[in-house]
Amino acid sequence: MKDQIISLIAETLQEMNQSGEFTYETDTIQGDTPLYGGIEGTLDSLGLVKLIVAVEQGIQDRLNITVALADQKALSQTRTPFRNVNTLADHAINVIGMAAT
Amino acid sequence: MKATHIQFMLDRFQSHPEDDAIIWSDQRFSYGWLVNAVQDWMRQLDEQQVPRGASVSLEADFSPNAIALLLALIDRDCILVPLTSSVEQKKPEFRAICEVEVILEIDGNQLKTYQTTGVKASHPMIVRLKDAKHPGLVLFSSGSTGKNKAALHDFVPLLEKFKVPRHSMRTITFLLFDHIGGINTLLYTLSNAGCVITVNDRSPDAVCATIEKFKAELLPTSPTFINLILITRAYERYDLSSLKMITYGTEVMPESTLQRMHSVLPNVNLLQTYGLSEVGILRSKSKTSDSLWMKIGGEGFQTRIVDGLLEIKAESAMLGYLNHESPFTEDGWFKTGDAVEVDGEYIRILGRKSEIINVGGEKVYPAEVESVILQMDGVEDAIVTGAENPIIGKIVQLQVRISTGETLSEFRSRMGVFCQGRLERFKIPQKVTLVTDDLHSERFKKLRGKDGKN
Repeated sequence: MKDQIISLIAETLQEMNQSGEFTYETDTIQGDTPLYGGIEGTLDSLGLVKLIVAVEQGIQDRLNITVALADQKALSQTRTPFRNVNTLADHAINVIGMAAT
Repeated sequence: MKATHIQFMLDRFQSHPEDDAIIWSDQRFSYGWLVNAVQDWMRQLDEQQVPRGASVSLEADFSPNAIALLLALIDRDCILVPLTSSVEQKKPEFRAICEVEVILEIDGNQLKTYQTTGVKASHPMIVRLKDAKHPGLVLFSSGSTGKNKAALHDFVPLLEKFKVPRHSMRTITFLLFDHIGGINTLLYTLSNAGCVITVNDRSPDAVCATIEKFKAELLPTSPTFINLILITRAYERYDLSSLKMITYGTEVMPESTLQRMHSVLPNVNLLQTYGLSEVGILRSKSKTSDSLWMKIGGEGFQTRIVDGLLEIKAESAMLGYLNHESPFTEDGWFKTGDAVEVDGEYIRILGRKSEIINVGGEKVYPAEVESVILQMDGVEDAIVTGAENPIIGKIVQLQVRISTGETLSEFRSRMGVFCQGRLERFKIPQKVTLVTDDLHSERFKKLRGKDGKN
């Protein structure tokens, strides 16, 4: 499942890169590729919103599960789940798990 | 039989007895026929003892007898409640709001139902009109924000503006019989002895075929329908050379749609109209056929802009809502809720204040975004709305119908590239959904409401 989510995130970042939204070497996207927050994060809030919405739609399409990845709980965590590809994937799996139960 | 309120119309009809008054189902009905039909209905209403001043629902579409009966009911001081099949489910509710005393239903061109309901109208505004022996008109708002509001008009000031003779045209009645635009088109055309050309099928091909066949000169319609004419290229299949003017209103026109229409029909005047159920239709003048800037006003109307929003004071304004508190300020101004831009004496409608999307503090008007998206190859229709988002408050959400067969991801990527340099970044839709259904209502208006209701 995690591989699936990571490739979904990577594909979305590639798509955003094509439209000039995300300026990262996309063929090197890995688990520790930084996304949002901290010094390394390359997305601003608008870019983050786009990524999250697209990943949510991807989960809906591929797994047929409706999820909200950016709820108040996710936003209030001290260490943001959106800091890199890995943490976002873990967060998504967590939310999917809760949605499934 | 001498008429009271509509005598000026009958006089005009009588001076053009041979001219076409109405085209219905490919048949021509002359003004001579119409005078007789109105007088015949006046007699029948007498015989049936329909009380003067009764609240009457006229359930019909544009047909010769529906039109003649409408005029006869006006002359009988009735409170007229036109209802069409587009509100079929809501008819019982609407009749109750208007305290309808008599139901008249015209099916095709024949009277199908004549029914007294046993109700006695007692709403103070209705009683006031009755006592003054003034006919009335009730128009329902589309209810995009929930409940449909019933705007009650005094027909006497509404008719006043039609007494000034103006240029007559052969006009398609595209807007519906129960819509302020539809009623306005009908009364304008008849009182100037123009020809009312009715359409049963409101598809682009059927409407263009009717324009060709009956040499229509004026098509009053909506931006959504103009977009449909463009997508289907119906203008290539019919001879539209009789057409002199297309008027558009009821929703914001995307600039790109206007410019495309102007380029395919360069000899047709494109004129924006502005009106509301509550205040009636203002006189308007577009700067040019490919411009969204227009002047509005005319005799009996005053306009002002307060905090970027348009307000109107009209002599022919409604008396009030039958089912809602009065929306007028103490000195009689109506707040339209339309955000406008001003340039000298011209204004440009940006959109409904309630539809502005606030993306992290920045304002986005749906029409501006739609106008850009509609320029992309393979985009057939587009609707932009706001969606809640916990990170930046609201996001720009696009529902789009495409003919390219692209996946969501492919389309999103192409859209991102296309919008660069055309839209500021926060205006580029953050959420995109591909749809296959029509994105408009039966009234050819974009469905923006929650769950697609408008």
